[in-house]
Amino acid sequence: MFFQKYNDKKDGVIRGYDIRSPKVKVLAVVIMLICFAMVCICLFPAIWVFLASFKDIKEFTRNVTIFPESFEWSRMAETWNAFKFTKFYRNSLISIVGSTICAVIFNGLLAYGLGVLKPKGYKIALGLVMWSLMIPGVTSIVALFRNINLIGLNKSFIPLWFSFGANAFWVVLFKQFFEEIPRELLEAAKLDGCGVLKIFTSIMLPLSKPIIMVVAIFAVTAAWSDFLLPYLVLNGTDKVTVMVKLFSFKDTPTDAVSVLRASFFAIIPPTIIFAIFQKQITDGAASGAVKG
Amino acid sequence: MTVKTSKKLGEKKAKETFRKRDFYGWLIMVPSLVLFAFFVWEPLIENIRLSFFSTKMYEVVEFTGLKNYSAVIHDIDFMAAFKNTFAYTLWSLLIGFFVPMIIGVLISETIHFKGFFRMAVYFPNIMPSLATIWIWSYFFLPGPTGVLNILTGKLGMEPFEWLNNPHWTIPLIIITLTWKSAGSTALIYMANISSISPDLYEAATIDGAGIWQRVRHITLPSIFGIGKTMLILQIISVFQIMYEPMIFKNGGPNNASISLMMLMYRYGYRDYNVGKAAALSVLVCMILVVLSGIYMKATAQKEEA
Repeated sequence: MFFQKYNDKKDGVIRGYDIRSPKVKVLAVVIMLICFAMVCICLFPAIWVFLASFKDIKEFTRNVTIFPESFEWSRMAETWNAFKFTKFYRNSLISIVGSTICAVIFNGLLAYGLGVLKPKGYKIALGLVMWSLMIPGVTSIVALFRNINLIGLNKSFIPLWFSFGANAFWVVLFKQFFEEIPRELLEAAKLDGCGVLKIFTSIMLPLSKPIIMVVAIFAVTAAWSDFLLPYLVLNGTDKVTVMVKLFSFKDTPTDAVSVLRASFFAIIPPTIIFAIFQKQITDGAASGAVKG
Repeated sequence: MTVKTSKKLGEKKAKETFRKRDFYGWLIMVPSLVLFAFFVWEPLIENIRLSFFSTKMYEVVEFTGLKNYSAVIHDIDFMAAFKNTFAYTLWSLLIGFFVPMIIGVLISETIHFKGFFRMAVYFPNIMPSLATIWIWSYFFLPGPTGVLNILTGKLGMEPFEWLNNPHWTIPLIIITLTWKSAGSTALIYMANISSISPDLYEAATIDGAGIWQRVRHITLPSIFGIGKTMLILQIISVFQIMYEPMIFKNGGPNNASISLMMLMYRYGYRDYNVGKAAALSVLVCMILVVLSGIYMKATAQKEEA
């Protein structure tokens, strides 16, 4: 039964016809066990932080165990309330919603121009975007933060939202998708007298739902995890997000258990999103366009 | 071909609306281009300008030529960071390059729980990097209560120093990076492996090739092309390493893990020396542009082949 299934195997070296040999059978089982070991390594830190969050500080610094003595949710609630995590979650939510909307609209529109409309001279813009794919934004963070200060947008969500509208990776992702939409469809609509806007809203948008979904999911998780620019812009205000709070622990001595619980709180939302949108996320990642 | 025929059909109309279409095209792109200009391109140029000026907080004071650059290059921390960058790159080649390949090949050979394996190895990728850095910092605690020491203790080993041993700091940081990102690279390799034609394997089997020979002569060569791309992307990302050394040991012990980007952050936000920070990031950018050029060439070759 177990080995029978290998007859359906469609990729990789080991094929249905190999599995008759006992040596290959052993190999197949060994590979599966190694994979389970890898799974343990990948999941263990997340499971551990969940378990360790139930320890109090004495237990954490003295006990040489992985499991906590007891599972008291009140300890979690204590840290949650002490740090006012509800507020951080709310701020993160505000930042995510704006960032995701910007990510979809601005990158999508630019890709529509570069991939479909191709107005005269679009190649210059395309070249610039492709180059910014290679130059990571973090290298010019000092100058960017200075500019944000100069135009007076410091201590506000606005620069964070709009920063998601300029992501070369997502532009490329959108562009690749748009280019696969059959040209005939657009040409036909054009001959029927549809304007640029009409083609966009009645043909491109409905067809683009899957790609919008993928970019939105990646934007949500990226916005949740983003912290350098948010830290520079928001630290010291009442708009601190979960990640900004986590980052500020590096300068303010905090007891280990609180840091761990905060890390645990920070992991929950992306884990839920991953559980729901697993397929979109892993497929998007496998296509290679969302590296990093 | 299709474009050509449809062009003929709508030639007259296209000519009339040519200008209008161009105008709309740019109109749609302009808002996004403005954002790119503000968040990406202008800061890049501004950075170069700032690197030639002395600054006071965020105000430009006066043109000082290459003074910022020479200050950076003569900084002891810079030499340490520069040297470490090579150590980071070397270790990431040794560890970070092969692990995802191995994961990809192994998972491709499973049929049971395959979806689960794929999901699980990708999971670290979805976790916020900041949270994982904090978690790993408790894994590496040197005392007997550090998580890794608890685990090795169960095997009867003495507690290790982990990050406190300067020889181990960089390799351990690379391991945490690999743990975080290997899954996404492995998925890309898996996609490539599953596109290999089964006929190749069958032909090899008929010729008497064993499992290992097939891996060596069919699987590995077919992912080598994408592997080159991944390698360069990996080096580019290792050059920007910043948060891990910052949070683990603040660049220590004794500058053993300080990185170029971390130094930039220090110049900019601890010393508030914007000019010096800009000079350093221009230097890093120049290295990255060279690497990117190599990357572009490598991918262009791939597309031709």
